[in-house]
Amino acid sequence: MKQNNMLAMILAGGRGSRLHDLTNKVAKPAVSYGGKYKIIDFPLSNCANSGIDVVGVLTQYESVLLNSYVAGGGRWGLDARDSGVFVLPPREKADANLDVYRGTADAISQNIDFVDNYDPEYMLILSGDHIYKMNYAKMLQSHKENKADATIAVIEVPMKEASRFGIMNTDPETGRIVEFEEKPAQPKSNLASMGIYIFNWKLLRKMLLADMKNEESSHDFGKDIIPALLNDDKRLFAYKFKGYWKDVGTIDSLWEANMDLLDKKNGLDLDDRTWKIYTEDKPSLPQYISSEADVKHAFITQGCIVEGEVKNSVLFTGAKVGAGAKVIDSVLMPDVVVEDGAVVQRALVADGVKIGSGASVGSADSEHIELVAKNVKG
Amino acid sequence: MARALGIVSFSENHIWVEGMETYRSIAAFPFLGRYRVVDFPISNMSNSGIDRVQIYIRRKPRSLVEHIGTGRHYNINSKSGYLQMLFTDSSEENDYYNTDIKAYADNLDIIERASNTHIVIVPGYMVYTQDFNALLKTHEESGADVTILYHGVDNAKEAFQNCYCVNLNKQKGVASMEMNSGSKKNRDIFMDTYVMKKEVFINLIKEAQKVSSMYTLRKIVNEKCIAEELDVRGVAHKGYFAPITDFQSYYDANMALVDIKVAKELFKDEWPIYTRTNDSCPTQHFDTSDVKASFIANGCLIEGTVENSIIGRDCVVKPGAVVKNSIVLSDTVIGNDVHIENVVVDKFAKVTHLKEIIADPKKPGYIKRLDNV
Repeated sequence: MKQNNMLAMILAGGRGSRLHDLTNKVAKPAVSYGGKYKIIDFPLSNCANSGIDVVGVLTQYESVLLNSYVAGGGRWGLDARDSGVFVLPPREKADANLDVYRGTADAISQNIDFVDNYDPEYMLILSGDHIYKMNYAKMLQSHKENKADATIAVIEVPMKEASRFGIMNTDPETGRIVEFEEKPAQPKSNLASMGIYIFNWKLLRKMLLADMKNEESSHDFGKDIIPALLNDDKRLFAYKFKGYWKDVGTIDSLWEANMDLLDKKNGLDLDDRTWKIYTEDKPSLPQYISSEADVKHAFITQGCIVEGEVKNSVLFTGAKVGAGAKVIDSVLMPDVVVEDGAVVQRALVADGVKIGSGASVGSADSEHIELVAKNVKG
Repeated sequence: MARALGIVSFSENHIWVEGMETYRSIAAFPFLGRYRVVDFPISNMSNSGIDRVQIYIRRKPRSLVEHIGTGRHYNINSKSGYLQMLFTDSSEENDYYNTDIKAYADNLDIIERASNTHIVIVPGYMVYTQDFNALLKTHEESGADVTILYHGVDNAKEAFQNCYCVNLNKQKGVASMEMNSGSKKNRDIFMDTYVMKKEVFINLIKEAQKVSSMYTLRKIVNEKCIAEELDVRGVAHKGYFAPITDFQSYYDANMALVDIKVAKELFKDEWPIYTRTNDSCPTQHFDTSDVKASFIANGCLIEGTVENSIIGRDCVVKPGAVVKNSIVLSDTVIGNDVHIENVVVDKFAKVTHLKEIIADPKKPGYIKRLDNV
């Protein structure tokens, strides 16, 4: 809190049901990405690198793994005095029954007491399932310069896709938001909300208390809080983000986001030493590429052992590719084993799955990426 | 039950690794791409349940201190346990007075005050894995005063040149220790590893100080063996063992592990080797890359050929470059069309202008830290 008087809350409750078997036992923010990361490493590392000391993580769906993963905050350096990562699942209170979070805004409302402990001036709301790098300190600076009540990060999307997003219509001179439209049929702008908000906490607190009592409300930032603020003629500003940003909702898009890493100019620039993404470190050997292996155009991390062919693929921590096996256009999640002679093509193989010797999964010309979530016998 | 205090010791004065030791102690030498030599003794202790560890540092502390830091990555409880880094601040002009005995004597009050009953002393310059809990048990059951580790080898003529050997009697009692003269093939190499009761240790240090200010622990233990004043027993170590005692042995110790079968002897799932993470992203292999029989740490950009080599973190191997039988330490650049063979490239070096550096594997080449060639 000492650094910039801004507290961050990460919404990490979503299941991400279009990721099918990948999110059977874990919430979407805990899904593995990019060889060694989990998706939630991105907002957490962004917070750490932006000088934010206190982060609340709001969990709900299958939160056990996520809880144990983020608790403590040491992995992101968020464990100094007056600093911490706090896991906030729904809880029973003296004056309220145990209730699930009814929406994104309700998740914050139910934790007003937690926030009050820190008495921040600003509140940063983040989503736990987006992949991007962003300096929230710069966004806060813009928020202050605009003397804004709320600032919403936006990204330009292709006009023809704009109707899939929450769209901000702004005054082109000042960037002030004049209108917010959720998934408009006829979009007037291509500035899509990234679900990243900075609010003046006093105002948000008041709004949330009112929203809790409003039975009509769906208790959602996009659907309820933002329209209410605009209605009250509050000063809402858009903060334009330029760079890599991905909301991986489906198996195809998760695969694609991994494949993006094979292009050195992908814009995410994981290699940037000044803005590292921190994650869990496992005690494993550096990757080993054997004398029979053939590796081209691949993103491979520690703990991997490659004895076969790997082309245009991403291998996560501890993945193994046996002799004579082929892994092409695929993503192997942590500890996947592709045994000798097996073939994996255009597939995303889930954590720990074993592809038996000589088996074949996926196909080179499939429309969609095959998700392999169960062991395949050889 | 015996509860041991761990001591990671430094090497004796006759050991000096040309080039690399100018920048850091052997304990801080990078090893197999992502480790430091000291990770092995500390992980052994951590895995053996030894959670109080003293690490003695004789010179050039920066690199080692940075690497060990709070010690949290070694999985040692930071409240009931500790990792202490102790410097020998000798004002003596002559390094020969800066001995391990002097270092222990300077810190004897800490050792005396510790509630631990036993001391396990392991070298910070040898790479091996060992369950010290099992060794403690053997030690207690035997009733010996001191138990030491040795490793039987059959190539003592050409290797282990700066090591000591133990001469054992039939009961595995240590009769004496002597420098490896290279005259015999089969020798039992002393692993500079001891287990003893704390009182025995303290008495040895106090006595050694009285006798000679150039004494080392090995010297006094050897004399006690010869005089039969202490019952010193040897336990044979099995598995990978590599003392780093000169530049050749550093090179050979790394290169031996490029054979994954050998590496699997040292790295077992049930015996993790911990190290400090650098949070580098995974390594990128490009279309032009051709990697064979190599270990590659994270954060590298590989566009060239790498064969039978070890590449450290955050290295760049440019298109057309060929790296063969070499050890490339972190943050180095091997430029376009550069061919290196049998070379150790130290950290932050850039090899771009000189297009060919080929050394003899029996006399590997060395490129200095931060060098531009």
